[in-house]
Amino acid sequence: MLQFFLLIALVGYGLGIFLPLLAHRRPHVQNVLAHGGALLGAVGGVVVGVMGLAADSPFVFSLPSTLPLLSYAIRLDPLSAFFVLVISLVGVAVSVFALGYVREFYGRHSIGALGALYNAFLFSMTLVVLADDGFFFLVVWEIMSLVSYFLVVTEHEKAETRYAGFFYLIMTHVGTAFIIVTYLVFYQQAGSFSFEAFRNLSEPLPQALQSVAFVAALIGFGTKAGIVPLHVWLPYAHPAAPSHVSALMSGVMIKTAIYGMIRVYFDFLGGEFPWWWGFVILTVGAVSALLGVMYALMEHDLKSLLAYHSVENIGIILMGIGAGMIFQSYGLTHLAALGLLAGLYHTINHAVFKGLLFLGAGSLLYATHTRNMEEYGGLIRRMPWTAVFFLIGAVSIAALPPSNGFVSEWLTFQSLFLSFQIPDPLIKIMLPIGAAMLAFTGVLALACFAKAFGISFLAMPRSSHARNAREVPVAMRVGMAVLAVVCVLLGVAPMVVVPAIDWVTTPLVGASIADKVLAEGGLALMPMGVGFASISTPVLGILLALLAPVALLMAVVIGGRLRKRFYKTWGCGITLKPRMEYTATGFAQPIKQVFSTIYRPTVKLETELLEESRYFAKRMRFETHIEPVFQKYLYDPIVRGLNAVADRLRVIQAGSLQLYLSYIFVTLLILLLWVR
Amino acid sequence: MGAIRPDIASQMVDLCSALLLLTCFAIVAQRRLSACVDLFALQSVFLAVTAALVAFLTGIHHIYIAALLTVIIKVIVIPRILKKVIERLNVTRELVLNVNIPSSLLICGALVILAFYITQPIISLGFLLTKDSLAIALAIVLIGFFTMIARKKAVTQVVGFLVIENGLFLGATAAAYGMPLIVELGVFFDVLVAGLIIGIFTHRLQDTFDSVDTSKLTELRE
Amino acid sequence: MIESALVVLGQAVAALLVSPFVVGVIRKVKARLQCRRGATVFQPYYDLFKLFRKEVVVSTSTSWIFTATPYVLFASTLAASLLVPIFLSQVPFSFAGDVITVVYLLALGTFFLILAGLDAGSAFGGMGSSREAIVASLTEPAMILSIFAVGLTAGSTNLSTIVHKTALMQGIVTDPPPHLMALAALFIVTLAETGRVPVDNPATHLELTMIHEAMVLEYSGRYLALVEWASALKLLLFLTLLSNIFAPWGIATEAEPSRMALGLAVWLGKVSGLAVVIGVIESMFAKLRLFRVTDLLGVAFILSLLAVVFFYILRV
Repeated sequence: MLQFFLLIALVGYGLGIFLPLLAHRRPHVQNVLAHGGALLGAVGGVVVGVMGLAADSPFVFSLPSTLPLLSYAIRLDPLSAFFVLVISLVGVAVSVFALGYVREFYGRHSIGALGALYNAFLFSMTLVVLADDGFFFLVVWEIMSLVSYFLVVTEHEKAETRYAGFFYLIMTHVGTAFIIVTYLVFYQQAGSFSFEAFRNLSEPLPQALQSVAFVAALIGFGTKAGIVPLHVWLPYAHPAAPSHVSALMSGVMIKTAIYGMIRVYFDFLGGEFPWWWGFVILTVGAVSALLGVMYALMEHDLKSLLAYHSVENIGIILMGIGAGMIFQSYGLTHLAALGLLAGLYHTINHAVFKGLLFLGAGSLLYATHTRNMEEYGGLIRRMPWTAVFFLIGAVSIAALPPSNGFVSEWLTFQSLFLSFQIPDPLIKIMLPIGAAMLAFTGVLALACFAKAFGISFLAMPRSSHARNAREVPVAMRVGMAVLAVVCVLLGVAPMVVVPAIDWVTTPLVGASIADKVLAEGGLALMPMGVGFASISTPVLGILLALLAPVALLMAVVIGGRLRKRFYKTWGCGITLKPRMEYTATGFAQPIKQVFSTIYRPTVKLETELLEESRYFAKRMRFETHIEPVFQKYLYDPIVRGLNAVADRLRVIQAGSLQLYLSYIFVTLLILLLWVR
Repeated sequence: MGAIRPDIASQMVDLCSALLLLTCFAIVAQRRLSACVDLFALQSVFLAVTAALVAFLTGIHHIYIAALLTVIIKVIVIPRILKKVIERLNVTRELVLNVNIPSSLLICGALVILAFYITQPIISLGFLLTKDSLAIALAIVLIGFFTMIARKKAVTQVVGFLVIENGLFLGATAAAYGMPLIVELGVFFDVLVAGLIIGIFTHRLQDTFDSVDTSKLTELRE
Repeated sequence: MIESALVVLGQAVAALLVSPFVVGVIRKVKARLQCRRGATVFQPYYDLFKLFRKEVVVSTSTSWIFTATPYVLFASTLAASLLVPIFLSQVPFSFAGDVITVVYLLALGTFFLILAGLDAGSAFGGMGSSREAIVASLTEPAMILSIFAVGLTAGSTNLSTIVHKTALMQGIVTDPPPHLMALAALFIVTLAETGRVPVDNPATHLELTMIHEAMVLEYSGRYLALVEWASALKLLLFLTLLSNIFAPWGIATEAEPSRMALGLAVWLGKVSGLAVVIGVIESMFAKLRLFRVTDLLGVAFILSLLAVVFFYILRV
């Protein structure tokens, strides 16, 4: 059964890759073929994920290859199944959305190529989490990176897109290099690239090499995940891609890096590590979360804003995982399971709501042809459906109860608070500080999405783009609706999600906690069952749903029939114009001012005065920027250094063919002598 | 130790030293110079109370003398000198800081954790009822130091210096039930002289540069 | 089951009925300190009643968000009050959410209020929303940490457990310093979250100074009544937290009618006392400049952090 659906998934994507290329110059056919194939594949993937989670033993399959060291081995254990589910779930919704969205590109870009790449992207991501061989993993990982690069540069006629793509290409390859280092460390001990061999090393790696593997995996996967300070490519690349691809990149692709980390740390290294590993992960997570949301607040390009929020949420996921790793190294396996549970719960939540929000941003882009929030406004009346879906996504990402984001952030809070069981006093103090940073992140995310939703959808249209916007086609709305419904379900049904994730974490940490976490017949979550704390989102949801009508009833009982008069907003005696509205820049101004230490804002104000009177300005120009600290102080020096080295090395590049041949010749001779 | 149970006694000492630390934070958060001096006086009161408490609980009498000297010198004399200086200088607030207040507070919070981490192995070995105060004493010393770095005005730097001294005194009391009396007398004398000298120095600074901003001293290099 | 339902109902009614009274007390105290006689402490009830019956004026540039917000705000604040022990230490809904949930439920209301402020399109609303966002984001970490510090002593972040254990005199006597620091932090948080001087001035309508009032400027009639009532509820909720977490004396530890009646009376006394304190503070201090509020909230955060650190320092 499982094989069958796995086959359906892969064949679906395969059809999606090849069929559109056949229907040359008929964009509509190509569109339907490509996204139909993707939809088939993704639905198959969802079934595979669910079945894989329910299966008792891992499903293993392998094909030999003609290359040495490589075998096309796949293995579907609960961890892989969970990530297949995440990828496919978002894949289903995005494929439906794309049916409508790519019409935007008809006649401008090749729909066949776009569709084929889109399918190849989903295909490679699915294989990344299924691969059971280091070499094979690297191959599909590289395919995933390259395909996503080509997707990013879809609109290659724009210079900034080309820059974004180039930046992404460099960064992702640096990351891949570090992943190769990780696997080589294992390879030299195991003598094979098979994950099975990595898992069951004949003798454990020496401590120093383990740490090398840890750091290399953190940098390698961290680059893809977008941890600070390796996040710089993310706000360029994610917005540059077509929106449905951004949804996949931000919602799903960066999760493959989380998968890689869990695989290496918990599976290969057996979950035995010094405490500082978990501490490093936690710190990286906390810093990423906080800086991610802070930079997001300063963005007025809706898609860049969402991209920075991916940095934030990856940080939150890593905080859960880091806490789990710390607990694991102190032998507190139940708490380790809780931390991992929180991290994975947030993984699926983030995939869903970030996917939803990117689709929402895509709808806005489709309707208004601009990504600049300052040109939106009043869209809730022109695009009511999109507004509702975006609001659901915003409430979820801001972790407001009873949404899914709240559940996973709450679990993260609890795993940080339960740190008082750790013997080391320093960690005991640091983890609650992590919780404070998480709280701070949460509220800043609230502020940011209040801004994103409020400025984009509310008040009056700020430009003709927004005035002429229309609701998006049905396919796009359906795509968003799917994710919105999943979002709500993940929030009010933790009793289904928690056992499923527990099934994933049990083999990794060696302890099952589902029965301990679920209390009150599954209605409430209570970590460890010690009565430290509990929540119940279903009850909260019902409570909120009941109390709002109570308020309405009360208003009617006390106040009688509602008498309502509509009138324009008071504008201090003058007619209110959209120009007088609060802008996104204005909204974020106090935050920029308060945290100027981090932002280092520069303000430029040019005033041209009237010649007749120095009291009246003819023209004013206001410009404000925040300093890209990481680019300026970290990346620019590295790039300059590399350029300097390259200049030196130019000596050996004389341009003469004979010279190059002699290089090869000499190298050959040395190698032959060496291996003699 | 008399009628008081040891755990309660230890808690009273803890409470007093906690208040000492809190006044440190208040000084860091305060921009008004005279309020800084007042807070220093308040801190010295708490210090004297702590010392007296320790003297009472342990029955070591010379700590009483140290407590009394604290009250005289640090609560009355030095604050008066500093108030005089402030009056003459005509500066009431510190508007420009090297590190802004929220960041200073956060850094000081980190210093407390650091102090706790450093002293933790020593504390767990200790058996005195004041042992917990050692971490706090170190934290006070570090915060005093930081205040001297973060602030520009000479007066607040004096306050920072005096805070360091308070921290050392608390540390001595906490770790060893106080230093020998003669050493303490010497220290008090030193502090008094230092207070006087810095007072005079501040006047000179004001006369020379028309400001008590110590960063102006960089102009002296030639 | 019926008993629990009655307790929940009692809590809801008590919170709803007492909240305007607390606002009245603060206003009265301020009036007396300004040598005015001031309106009766029951004036807020009359105001609410009057507002409920008034015609509603709705801006033409608003959307359904504007209409829905008062109900969402009211429901979320009331839901949060049901999680907080008022006269009985073990509230029936305690399993549904701990203190983090309370914080986030209030944040849900704040979120919608910020949106509503932006909805009308006037610059005042936007200004209020923007300021509310920064104040809210600076208070939250302090609030979470301070209650966690108390939760450490009680071994729980469930408010019911905290209050219950403290009420049975486990905890508060063993570590006074963390408790005192957390109390101070939470008090500052209370002032900031409920829009009181020195962070915000509930009596002002001057655009340079208002925060909360600017956000709700467009509201009128029953919508305004709901918003005002919700903010009174929020104020009461914070005062209840302060009094019942740090001084839960007198609260009923088991569901016995006579005990609960006593608990109710004592709670009324405690929150009125706190209301007087807030009134005095409002009269003594001037409102801080917006960008000086960060200093104050920084102090609150540090206090809460020190509370946690001290818990461990004193326990090694």
